[in-house]
Amino acid sequence: MTSTSHHYNNETPSGLRARIGKFFFAEETPFGLALVRIVICIACLLVTVPRWIHSRELFSTDGAPTPLALNYGYPDLLPIPSGGLAVALMTILTFCCATACIGWCTRASLAISAVLYTYLNLLDSISTMTKYSVITSHVLFLLAFSHCGAVWSVDAWLRRRRLGLPHPRSLADHPKFAAWPRRLIQLLIGVVYFGASVTKMHTPAYFSGDQLWHWMITNVNNANPVGEWMTLYPAFLVVFAYLCVIWEILFVFLSWRGWGRVCMLAMGVGFHVMTTLTLGLYLFPLTCIATYFAFVNSEDIVAAAARWRHLKRRHGETWLPRLAAVTRLPRAFSSAVISLLKPVGQRLTPAGSLGVFGLLLTVVSVGAVEVEYRLDIYSERGPDGPLALKEIDPDVAKLMFAGSVRLREYDKLLAFDIGSNIFGGMITGVRDTFHYGDSVIAQCTLSPPHEDMWIECNLHDANNVLIDRVGQIVVRSQLRGNFLYRACDALDPGTYFLVLRTGTQELTRRKIEILPNDAARCRINAN
Amino acid sequence: MIKRWLTGFGITAYLGTLLFGIVSHAANFQDGSHPSMYFIVWDMFCGWSAYETRTHIVGQGVSGKYYELSPGPWGDYQPYSNISRHHYDSFNLNPQTIAVNCLKHTAHEPMTRLYVVEEAWAKKYNLPESLWKQRYSEPKEPYSYFHLRTVMTPEGQVTGNSVNWLGYQTNFTISDNPRLQRESRTSAPMFMVRPMSETSSPSAN
Repeated sequence: MTSTSHHYNNETPSGLRARIGKFFFAEETPFGLALVRIVICIACLLVTVPRWIHSRELFSTDGAPTPLALNYGYPDLLPIPSGGLAVALMTILTFCCATACIGWCTRASLAISAVLYTYLNLLDSISTMTKYSVITSHVLFLLAFSHCGAVWSVDAWLRRRRLGLPHPRSLADHPKFAAWPRRLIQLLIGVVYFGASVTKMHTPAYFSGDQLWHWMITNVNNANPVGEWMTLYPAFLVVFAYLCVIWEILFVFLSWRGWGRVCMLAMGVGFHVMTTLTLGLYLFPLTCIATYFAFVNSEDIVAAAARWRHLKRRHGETWLPRLAAVTRLPRAFSSAVISLLKPVGQRLTPAGSLGVFGLLLTVVSVGAVEVEYRLDIYSERGPDGPLALKEIDPDVAKLMFAGSVRLREYDKLLAFDIGSNIFGGMITGVRDTFHYGDSVIAQCTLSPPHEDMWIECNLHDANNVLIDRVGQIVVRSQLRGNFLYRACDALDPGTYFLVLRTGTQELTRRKIEILPNDAARCRINAN
Repeated sequence: MIKRWLTGFGITAYLGTLLFGIVSHAANFQDGSHPSMYFIVWDMFCGWSAYETRTHIVGQGVSGKYYELSPGPWGDYQPYSNISRHHYDSFNLNPQTIAVNCLKHTAHEPMTRLYVVEEAWAKKYNLPESLWKQRYSEPKEPYSYFHLRTVMTPEGQVTGNSVNWLGYQTNFTISDNPRLQRESRTSAPMFMVRPMSETSSPSAN
């Protein structure tokens, strides 16, 4: 552990116990934890702010809460608050996330956030509780035990003002604390990835690329156009699937120092960015990347500061004036706020700060409850009384209640690809022109569920006359059937069709061109 | 020193809990036994389906008209994408809560029955037109299947529940087997006593 060794003990620890002690209890300045605190609280705010107006509906007895405990057979595990109380709790949570982000009454803010975030999430299993919520709950809980508010926070600023301390100039000027909260966050994210790899090992369709393929054309997350485009190249999904599992397993072992740390974190950022592009996830990547800041140690911050100073000295003349112009407004705002708060900061004791915090929290919560009441989200107290229900179009209703029907044959077909190579069980280099001697591989991909099916891939000429018929049984556990033809001089150069049929009907067809090639001689040969 | 011991105990307990979650998940041991397991089992994206499903929560009035009970008329809440909250209830555990809440806060004629209807379509129809043309030679003609999942009284009491649409279709793929049909007919379940409370014999289920 390069990060903390020389703060804790310059001597090399001798036994396992001493090494574990050094790993968890070496003293360091909590820069990494401060970054985790800031980013995770922003992620929390992205959850709580848009949901605030729906608090009554999602979390209260005056709405439609959906407790997670119900899924496990414990319907009454947690009490469900009334409408006003749910709004107040959501407001307190939002307020505390904001104050934890800026580091004001940090420990209290984080403790309240950890409890309320977990509690409210547990009341809405269908639209709020997800695995990123769980990771956030863990991180908030661990941060509440840490000293992450000791740097880059209002608390640290107030402390310096109160004690008349100068602005810290070096690492030695910052307070130091045991590293264990940072270590636990590091281990948490490593365990999360390891657990995720176990999930993938339990899912055979993950390694065949089928699961990824279908998730990329699923519309339950945000827009994911890159994912939809990638389904045109399914062989890549197999490669990414294996790379991802290898990375998830290795993360907890290699992410501690040196190039291992750089590679694992870079791959992690790449992986999460790809989940945004291909699956439409936003908060999950943000939450996971927030935990990566736990891998930032004091030396990293010192090195980054030195690099920044060097950069400023070397190129500052060019871009510093431009940067100053761009940041003029926020700087003016922050300096105005600081000058306003300066006299307060000099007088405010920790108890006083907590008192102001509590007072403000109460005022905001009561005000928010009143505002929400006046907003009347169900529109029940308007001049016309409660709203009327929306009638369903009778034609649509007729469709809905027409009775269940069996799957259409065409819906069982996911893809029919023609190419010359197979990689990871998938066709690569999809094409429609072949020369004599080329293999023509036709691959039919089916969607589950399907019964044991007889699938034919027949060769028709340009006049749609059947030339060759090949069939095979694709049993219900299989999703693919491959048919191999060889383009050869038994076939005149020209246009042909590969026609995919089930036992009862034609599903689809692909046009292919066969061109002569002097070098190759072969005979027609299917499968 | 006591603080250090307490911290050490806390670290050990926390890591032990995380480790239990991994073992529980890997071995499928007690991984769904309690809501707290959700906090230590990391089974993200554990399932998949080739069909996209949506849920329609519908009320039938005494006039015979059908009404939409989710989203409520006061506005839609779409947590992650452009689809409403109730579509994320993949286990169909909460439709009565959502339906009754809607009825509680709206003006409407008396209801006779509430229904949950599942809609499903092949996910390939989610592809945009440009990608569809690259992958399929046929024109894109999306088709939705509807399946009555749950029937409830106006108070939200469930009076009928059926297997979900995917299970319903999967059953067809298995039951299209004359031998299986014949054997299942000859060994129809008959219970003189229901031993479910005493044993967990599969035949009792």
